[in-house]
Amino acid sequence: MNRIRSFFTDLVQNPRKRNITIGVVLLLLGSAILKPLMASPHVSLAAEPILENGPAWFTNALLTTFLVDIVLIVLALATRAGLKEGVPSGLANFMEMVIEALYNVVENMAGKNAKRFFPWAATIFLFVIISNYSGLIPGVGSIGMTHGAEADSHSILLENQVAAADEKLTFSLFGAEEEGHAKFVPLLRAPSADLNMTFGLAIIAMFMVQYFGVSALGAKYFKKFFNFGGKGFMGAIFSVVGILELVSEIAKVISFAFRLFGNIFAGEVLLAVMAFLFAFILPMPFYGLELFVGFIQAFVFMMLTVVFFSTAMVSHDDHGDSHH
Amino acid sequence: MGEVLGQLGISGPLLLSQIVNFVILMVLLRLFLYQPVLNMLEKRKERIAQSLMDVERSSNAAVEAEKERAKILEEARREAQEVRAQSARDAERIAQEIRSRAEQEATDIRMKSQADAEAQVQSVLADAKKQIADLAISATEQLLGRELQNRSEQERFVNEYLAQQGGSGK
Repeated sequence: MNRIRSFFTDLVQNPRKRNITIGVVLLLLGSAILKPLMASPHVSLAAEPILENGPAWFTNALLTTFLVDIVLIVLALATRAGLKEGVPSGLANFMEMVIEALYNVVENMAGKNAKRFFPWAATIFLFVIISNYSGLIPGVGSIGMTHGAEADSHSILLENQVAAADEKLTFSLFGAEEEGHAKFVPLLRAPSADLNMTFGLAIIAMFMVQYFGVSALGAKYFKKFFNFGGKGFMGAIFSVVGILELVSEIAKVISFAFRLFGNIFAGEVLLAVMAFLFAFILPMPFYGLELFVGFIQAFVFMMLTVVFFSTAMVSHDDHGDSHH
Repeated sequence: MGEVLGQLGISGPLLLSQIVNFVILMVLLRLFLYQPVLNMLEKRKERIAQSLMDVERSSNAAVEAEKERAKILEEARREAQEVRAQSARDAERIAQEIRSRAEQEATDIRMKSQADAEAQVQSVLADAKKQIADLAISATEQLLGRELQNRSEQERFVNEYLAQQGGSGK
């Protein structure tokens, strides 16, 4: 009891804690004041074209993809310029550390094949993590333009707010189909919150799995899928298993794509909703969570890719029916 | 199906663009980032291994040199000891030699002086004998009052007598 009381008196008397308390209260009040002014969070499953009358392929996710590319290439060039044989320092040191850590991870899983896998694995990791974090930069997803030429955008915004306040949090997931309303389109969108990017990566990863499998085992690799040679009951089982194996390759593509997309997209929606509910303070823990998720998803994508690469290069003849 | 994909925002060209984008990015990063960095890491690893080896080698050399030094020192000490012992032995030998030579000399001198003394004694004795003989002869002459005619006979007689005395006197 005493401790609780001293905690509260401390909040008022200790100048530092008092300032923090006042700040928090002000931010909470500010959140409450801002609340009615805020537009309902922008949620769209698909990446949208930035230009209203421009090409449909020029989406915000594509633009951000290019920005991520540029960031990565600039990082690479800066690192290369900073490399020196002596004591490493600065950016080059950091990137060396990152590359070395990634290489060790790949090497631990892939062993002697690490050299072949590494460019793919590392690029996946770096591209995905920068993509994930790009969605966390303030302004990405919130700065944009309103499409819907027939009305003054300001009044439309107000109208939207009223609608949002009424409907609480009913998102128009497929907002593009709504007629008559002006539509907000963010300028930037995390590439990993776009299914094109995640599917693209997943397809590349699974394609490379087949490539490495064939390069290691030759035509024998396909016996994994088309195993009709067996006789009797077990032969029939093996041929069915082969078909399952084939299906599972496609399932891997889908799970890769939706895992990454789902995590990042959900994270962005979560942050947007939290910010909408309470502009300050509340989103902070979720922000930390999203930083963690962004890293984990990049890492998981890389790890799984390397694991699939490795298993594809191992002949399945040695251990008959050990499929997964 | 197509509509669902459209609503999910999946479109062929965008998918393709992402794939191409990724492959290009991979090639560029491999060229600009992975290869230089991995090469550098490899080089640095080699250099570190090299310098570690150098350190080990030089420390080995130092140990070796230390050992060598100790060995040389030990050898020098032993040699010095040997020289000292040798010189002590030499000195002892020389002293011995000198002493024995001195002894020898002393003995020689003593022998010689003894011989001399003996010779002197002999000569004195001979002299004395001669004089005694002379005296005896003269005494006998005086006693007899005359000189013996046969002096040489006399002398022979006395000498014979003295030899007889000397022989029994010994």
